[in-house]
Amino acid sequence: MSPNRVSRVQLVMVMLLLLVLQFYLRPRLWDARISPDFLLIALMLFAMRSSPGVAALAGFAVGLIADTLTPARFGAGALAHTLVGYLGSWGRSVFFADNILVNAAFVAVGLWVRDLIVLIASGTDHRQVLTELTLYSPLQALTTAGFALVVLITFQNMFSIRLDT
Amino acid sequence: MVSSSDRRYTRRDTVLFLLCLGLSLFGLFSPPARGHAVADTLRQTVLFPLVWLQTRAEEGRTSRVRFRQVTTERDSTAYLAQFLPSLRAENERLRQLLRLSRRLNTGYVPAEVLHQPQVMDSRTLLLSAGARDGVSVFSPVVAPEGLIGVVLSVSTKSAVAMSWAHPEFRVSAFTVSGNAFGVVAPSNEGRNGEGALEFRGVPYRDSVPLGTLVLSSGLGGVFPKGVPVGTVIGVVREEAGWERVYRLRPAANPGSASHVLILLGGRSNDLGAAFPSDSLLEAVRLDSIGRLRRADSLAQAVRAARAARRDSVSRASPLQGGGAAQPAQRGTGSPILGGSPAAPAPARDSAQ
Repeated sequence: MSPNRVSRVQLVMVMLLLLVLQFYLRPRLWDARISPDFLLIALMLFAMRSSPGVAALAGFAVGLIADTLTPARFGAGALAHTLVGYLGSWGRSVFFADNILVNAAFVAVGLWVRDLIVLIASGTDHRQVLTELTLYSPLQALTTAGFALVVLITFQNMFSIRLDT
Repeated sequence: MVSSSDRRYTRRDTVLFLLCLGLSLFGLFSPPARGHAVADTLRQTVLFPLVWLQTRAEEGRTSRVRFRQVTTERDSTAYLAQFLPSLRAENERLRQLLRLSRRLNTGYVPAEVLHQPQVMDSRTLLLSAGARDGVSVFSPVVAPEGLIGVVLSVSTKSAVAMSWAHPEFRVSAFTVSGNAFGVVAPSNEGRNGEGALEFRGVPYRDSVPLGTLVLSSGLGGVFPKGVPVGTVIGVVREEAGWERVYRLRPAANPGSASHVLILLGGRSNDLGAAFPSDSLLEAVRLDSIGRLRRADSLAQAVRAARAARRDSVSRASPLQGGGAAQPAQRGTGSPILGGSPAAPAPARDSAQ
């Protein structure tokens, strides 16, 4: 098994771990509105290491899961996650973020943008949009970025970007 | 590790992106029913494991919450149950007090004992009834078990009672059998930290058996007759030739009394019937047996006298006296039942 294949398997394992955490640990945590979004962490970490098209496809899949499991407007989550995944991959190619803090910041910004798109696409009331975007989204972005930092530090070798020569 | 070469921006990426974007917009602007149908299908097929996982997690969380709730309820119940024995005891005590109040043939005022967190609390008791309720100085204070003390001072709404544990407390008393009189005073030699009483001034010739109930005699005009004071549990000392001092186990404990009755007026009444106790019932039983025996001996004497008379008539001789017909001995009747006790000059209450 080639080293490249091993790293991809490891990456998939981490993604699966985050998926399990999303559906098994997150419901047991505190207020759901500010607890970390493990699926978004998986999406952003994957997007920053994938091509924009694949990242958009991953975002679409994650968004579809979100739309299926949350009683929001169907399609809003898919649209938001597709855009976030695509932009995450595109932004990764613009800002070369080998620094884990920048990676975590990407996750936080991605979550806030995702919330913005979902709220607008769902046709939410302006006052609620303001409250969500100024209170709950930043708080959730902080917790999500914090956990992303933990993941990045724990699996540092796995997530290090290697430039091909 | 993912190589940066994997992230080359190609036409394929654009196509994928536009495809995903288009599908998302299609889902967004399609009728809600269709969206719900797709979501339902996905939930029941592909996402079923994830939904199942989340359901287990929610159950775990709610189980924890339920467990915490049950634990809290259990703790609350245990906390409340701690007071159950004391409530039962208080209830039983109030029932006893009610029964006593029905048996009393004198006026009374019920009062709560307002215990104070001080060492000398049991010597003087603060009572919740005062002059407004008719309480006056020297009103006797009783509990269902017996004598507690006497009112020392009275204000409008409260009164202070001197319990039998007070060093200056004295009450004239006699044994339930009526063969010994004396004065009951607090003992200085309480055993195991418990208060005790002394039955002083009992003539040397009148021995009092252990377990004998001692009652107030009613002499002195402070305490009515027949209120249990204590039970003889031993001899403290003997003044050779003229006096014995007995140790008494107090009938009522002022330290644990929560409700009492303050007796009003009628201090000349006999309250013996209001305080039935094992000793008292035993005394009544013995007294009844004594009466029967006396009646038997009297009947026997009468029969003997009649026989003698018949003999004398038949012999036509002068009438001879019936020496066998002796009257009942004095002093064997119970004072509770109206018998006159044979006793030396009784002492009087010195509490006044």
